[in-house]
This record gives sequence, C-alpha cells and structure tokens, in this order.
Amino acid sequence: MDNLINIGVAQLAVAENPAVLRTILGSCVGICIFERNKKIGGLAHILLPKNPGDSNPEKYADTAIPILVQQLLKKGCKKEFMSAKIAGGASMFKFKSTTTLANIGENNIEATRQALAKFGIPIVAEDIGGSAGRVIDFFLDDGRLKVKASGQEKMYYKV
Amino acid sequence: MHEHIQQRIQSIIQNVDQLPSLPDVVSRIINMVNDPNVSFKQVAEEIAKDQAITANILKLCNSAYFSKGKEISSIDRAIVILGLKEVKDIVVLATTKSVLNRVILGYDLARGELWKHGVAVAMLAKKIANDCNQKTVADIAFTGGIIHDVGKTVLALFVQSTFKDILSTVTEKNITFQEAEKLIMGFDHQQIGQQVTIKWKFPKVLQSIVRYHHEPTNAPDEHKKIVSIVHIANTLCLMAGIGIGSDGLYHELNQDAVTMLGLQDAQLEKFYSDIPELMNKARDIL
Repeated sequence: MDNLINIGVAQLAVAENPAVLRTILGSCVGICIFERNKKIGGLAHILLPKNPGDSNPEKYADTAIPILVQQLLKKGCKKEFMSAKIAGGASMFKFKSTTTLANIGENNIEATRQALAKFGIPIVAEDIGGSAGRVIDFFLDDGRLKVKASGQEKMYYKV
Repeated sequence: MHEHIQQRIQSIIQNVDQLPSLPDVVSRIINMVNDPNVSFKQVAEEIAKDQAITANILKLCNSAYFSKGKEISSIDRAIVILGLKEVKDIVVLATTKSVLNRVILGYDLARGELWKHGVAVAMLAKKIANDCNQKTVADIAFTGGIIHDVGKTVLALFVQSTFKDILSTVTEKNITFQEAEKLIMGFDHQQIGQQVTIKWKFPKVLQSIVRYHHEPTNAPDEHKKIVSIVHIANTLCLMAGIGIGSDGLYHELNQDAVTMLGLQDAQLEKFYSDIPELMNKARDIL
C-alpha cells in the first residue's frame, strides 16, 4: 500500500483519504477517530492510561486523545461527524503477580473510554482484551478498520 | 503432536547447515572480550580484518544510541571511547541483522519486526541490568536480548502449518504459546534458538538466555539472574507491542524472575513506560 502510514508506540497521526494508518498493539490501545463528512481520520497509539506529568503526552490515553481531537478540529473536522473505533488492551496470558502492570490493558481501555466520553465522541466498534497481539489498519476512504489477530482478520465498517 | 514435523525439525538440528550462519569473527570477539589476557589492540585487529563489518560498526558507533558525542572514525577509537564490551555489542548488532531482519511467516511478523523486537529487548534488558546492580553483565543482557528469539527464524515455517493446533492447545490446556509449540511440534523456539547459538559457538550464558527466556526459573543457577532480566525485558516489549506476532501475549510474566531482581511494581511500570523513549534513541540502529 502506497498510502500506508506506520504509527509507533506512543505516537499519533492525522491524515486524509486515501491514507491507511497502521499500528501494532499489545496491551496498548489504538484509538481511531474518523470524521465521516471530510473523510479525515486520526490514530493514537497509547501505552498507559493516565499521564502523571510526563513530557510525552502522546504516551497516555488522557492526554493523547485531546491532542488527536484538537488536530482533527484544526483540519476543519466537526465533532458531531466524528466516531471512534478502539482496539488492543490485551493482557499477559499468565501473570502470577498482583502488579498493576497485569491490569494495564484494562486500565488503558477504561481511560480511553473516559477520554472519548469527555468529547462526546461515540465508540462504534471495539476489538479489545484477551491475549492476542493486533495489527490494525485504519482506512480513511471509508473509515473501516481491519484487525489482524492470531492469524485471522476482522473488518469493522461502522462509522 | 505432528510427528512428521518433529522429524523435520530434528533433521534440521542435526544438519546444522540448515541453521542460520554468522561470521566466525563474532564468537571470536565475544570470547576475546571475556578473556583478561587479550588486549584492546588484538580485538581491534580482529575486527579490522573484516572491511565490510568495520564500516557498519563505525556507523553504529556514531548512532544516537551509542555515540558519546565525539565522532568515531576507527575501531581503535571506538574501543577507547565506548569500551570493549560496548564494541562487542555493536559487532553483534552489525552481524546479526541479516539473520533477524526477515519476514517471519508463521509468527506473522512483517520484515523488520523481529529485528526491532530484538533491539528493543536488548536496550531494555541493558537498562534493567544497570538499574538492578547488574552493571557488570549489562552487555551480556544486551547481546542476549538481540538474539533471544533467533529460533523463531527457523521454526516459523512449521508454526505456519500448525498454528491452529498450537493456539487451540493454548486455550484447551491453559498453557503458554511456547509450551504449546513444544507439545505440537516436539520443539519450541527456545530449543531451536539454543542450537543456533551452539552452532555460532556462543558462550554458555548466551545459550541459557536464548534457551530459557520464557522459563527463567529453569535456567542454570549461575544464569538465573541474567535470564530473568531478558525475560522481563521481553515481556514488557511484547506488552508494548514491539515485535508482537501471532503468539501475542500468550506468554507468562514469571513472578520468581521479578522477585529475584528485587523489582517493585512501580519500577516495572517505569521500565514499560520508558520503551517509547528507548525506541526513539534506536531509530538509526533499526
């Protein structure tokens, strides 16, 4: 794919039709916001739920999502035409420990929901939890999301 | 158990020609660095024999991750400025890339993903070693991190044809992916990896890291700590999605490894949180 943009851990990007945004997720969450009127979308790949005052806001759900929304608004997107799809938040299959790290996937998902709710952006599809790694492709021609996990592909069309 | 697959893997192990190769200079350098009777000069001469490797090594010496600010234009200078151990790690980086920077089919890793994973685990393992009073072996943690998954390059083809059985065994028997590999194919990627490191004439400690990175408690006592370091670095990098493949997070974070290193929750989380910054520093290594 010529229009493929790879997004690394704790990075985010905004692009328009016909770009495809790709990222690879473990316990991290990928937040894909699509503005259906302008066919502009953005993807944030967050590592942790809450920013404790770190200088890298793109690492955390509660600070990355506002940046992502701001960047979309700057491009002329309107909040009422935005919807979100989220993926990731997996957990280690076996984790004897009671460490907070064991719940990081779940905590990432929860913080993502809260941050999106603050902006009133609905989550229209989600592929979350479990122990699978996920490669996600977010297509900006129509906002669909392809999730490849455990050797199988799923497609989410709702925008 | 797929017996024909077990037999095919067995024959690959016996006929070492089918395992990945590495220039002999690598094991010579690794062993020289551990030998107190070997001088800087001898190591520099050994590296300089290979022109192609030398050019690559100098490039890495001047990368953001290794550079100390001063331009390095010769192996002699590299050893003086960075030290023998660091130069040894750079030799391993420069020579293993062609083995690890491949599409890994059965594990669904695109070109570059396994390489990126090895480099990430190497950097994080070195950091954990430095922070856990294991400074003297931080370079070994780095080398071990780079190569820990080398067995996947050999096993990938067989994982591709048995993937469904492996995954269903994981859920049915509630065991990790690597345990299921062994049950279905007779071997797991750690065992194959160890065979590769034996072929490469790598020291025992590196063999242990490759062989036990998913089961650190089974490593020989004298290697348990270093294997635990790489185990934790590997787990955290997979959680961060760096080089995560079709085996996903169907693995285990071994609590004994965490306890052995005296790591607290907050420290573990900090290491995990540091991964993006490490990856930024590694951009010109990848």
